[in-house]
Amino acid sequence: MRISRAGLLVVIAIMIPILVELRTVLAYFSVSISVMETVLIGALAVGALVLWAVFPSTDTNRPNGE
Amino acid sequence: MSAYVDQFPAEARIVRAAFWSSFIALGVGGLLGLVQVLHRTDVVRFMSGADYYTVLTLHGVLLAITFTIFFLVGIFTWAITTSLDRGLENLRFTWLWYGLMSVGTVLAAIPILAGFVGSVDMSASVLFTFYAPMQAHPLFYLGLTIFVVGTWLAGADWFRTWLVWKREHPDERIPLPTFMVLTTMLFWYLSSLGVALSILLFLLPWSLGIWEQVNALLTRTLFWYFGHAVVYFWLMPAYMMWYLMLPKISGGKLFSDPLARVVFVLFLILSTPTGIHHQYLDPGIAEGFKFIVMTNTFFLLLPSLLTAFTVVASMEHGARQRGGTGYFGWLKALPWRDPIFTGMALAGLMFAAAGFSGMINAGMNINYLVHNTFWVVGHFHLTVGTAVALTFMAASYWFIPQVTGKRLWNKSVALWQVLLWFVGMTFMSNAMHRAGLLGVPRRTAEPQYAGFEFEAGLGSVAELDAQIALGGTLLFVSVVLFLANVVMTAVGDRIDDLPDNEYADTLSGADDAPLVLDNLKLWTAIAVVLVILAYTLPLLSIIDRGGVFGPGGGAFPMVAESLRLVVVAAVDAGVIG
Repeated sequence: MRISRAGLLVVIAIMIPILVELRTVLAYFSVSISVMETVLIGALAVGALVLWAVFPSTDTNRPNGE
Repeated sequence: MSAYVDQFPAEARIVRAAFWSSFIALGVGGLLGLVQVLHRTDVVRFMSGADYYTVLTLHGVLLAITFTIFFLVGIFTWAITTSLDRGLENLRFTWLWYGLMSVGTVLAAIPILAGFVGSVDMSASVLFTFYAPMQAHPLFYLGLTIFVVGTWLAGADWFRTWLVWKREHPDERIPLPTFMVLTTMLFWYLSSLGVALSILLFLLPWSLGIWEQVNALLTRTLFWYFGHAVVYFWLMPAYMMWYLMLPKISGGKLFSDPLARVVFVLFLILSTPTGIHHQYLDPGIAEGFKFIVMTNTFFLLLPSLLTAFTVVASMEHGARQRGGTGYFGWLKALPWRDPIFTGMALAGLMFAAAGFSGMINAGMNINYLVHNTFWVVGHFHLTVGTAVALTFMAASYWFIPQVTGKRLWNKSVALWQVLLWFVGMTFMSNAMHRAGLLGVPRRTAEPQYAGFEFEAGLGSVAELDAQIALGGTLLFVSVVLFLANVVMTAVGDRIDDLPDNEYADTLSGADDAPLVLDNLKLWTAIAVVLVILAYTLPLLSIIDRGGVFGPGGGAFPMVAESLRLVVVAAVDAGVIG
């Protein structure tokens, strides 16, 4: 893994306030998205993050928070 | 070096007792929090709207007073004994103040709980902000007084221990943890004076029928003299944990001992003369006084920003010691697997958000937009509800093994617990802030009105309610996980390989700090002068306009009247002459 499982959990947790505020920020640019669309974007973002995280790291010597 | 329970077994007992008192309050208060969010959002309503305020009072008092202060007296006892490397001077005295705090809590809780029982003529549904004209049963005020006296004696206990140490070590600097405890307590003596005066001179005699009425604005102002400052009584122990624990757990050292001392001195002198910023909409206080207090409040950003710098610099130092590299790459080297670290780091992150909403609250003009709305509730759930509560819970995962001699039951559950708190608070607090911007009021059981709807610029109030209910539920689950973990730890077996009882070493130590920083008399004198400057004229003006005992103090409910009837009946029966 590129980051530790604990690190991955923390990053997902930190993504949540960003996703929650995403609708508000987009509204400033006149882009309206519904709750369901926000949930879908969130699921895609978390999925992409998990995919990236589980991809084998090329540098095994680097600390990853474990 | 060994675990705290082996070094100071008698003191570990008192710390354990304080922690359990704190955790019981957290459990009950957390459950009541869930009841409230479900009621307010109309998801589940099983009590009357009137009972909501009793629940709200108990939630506020148990979490804002009991949970926080019992926990901090525990860690302050640890800080004094560990950093001075000596036990407390007289443990009977120590148990006395713990006993007073406990008795005070029970006495204050009895009339609040009696509010649920219609047949009992006793109530204290006055909310955490217990100023006139809301009137509680005298037992409530008496309980609070005894509780506060207990905290004063606790401070005396720690000062006495330090003075004895000082006689034996005349040329040594005050160790940083002790310095933090002493400055916090000096500030607490100064700031709790307001509520002591309010209760003893006005609210208690008023509830006993000795005074017919009190000056509502005066009791309000005295409450807020204490009511905002008490926030720092919760925060300074959390800061202490960030300074003393986070750098060590990150794998490094505290960046600067002198800077930490400066921060605590600034809190001592600046925290009290700020309370009137809770009263920007009170018509009885001149705008000029409010402007001065606004300026004082904004100065308080300074110690918080200094803390952000010092703590993050210490964490970065730790991460680089662990092999972290790059501008941001070092973040990956931090011990995210450790719930103590992760909980405290996330608490600090949320405190940054709380600082931003706090600046809105503190600004005189923009405060009018959010005053008495749900925004404010969102704000203090980020401060006391996360920066403090999450830090205390995370710190417990280090302290409970130290004071029980037992291994933490489940580290993974602890990690999930702190993350769940962060996520739950994100949902709840964000929606509370946004609802406040729509004008949704605070302190309201059922903010749904016939023929009127709050207009949401984005989404709907129903979405915000759903977010609040979801967040509140996650927070309650987090509390349950926390309590399960500490209880299971406490019932586990004693082990011998616990980490040593230590706190962070420093990169720049006490010797680099100017001697004047340890001059507690000087900083206390400055703090007193600032309070006199900020409060003398507003208080005189309030008294000049309304008198010491009025107007505006007609009591509701009429406890005094019921007491008068009891006295008349007793006289008629010949029980008293």
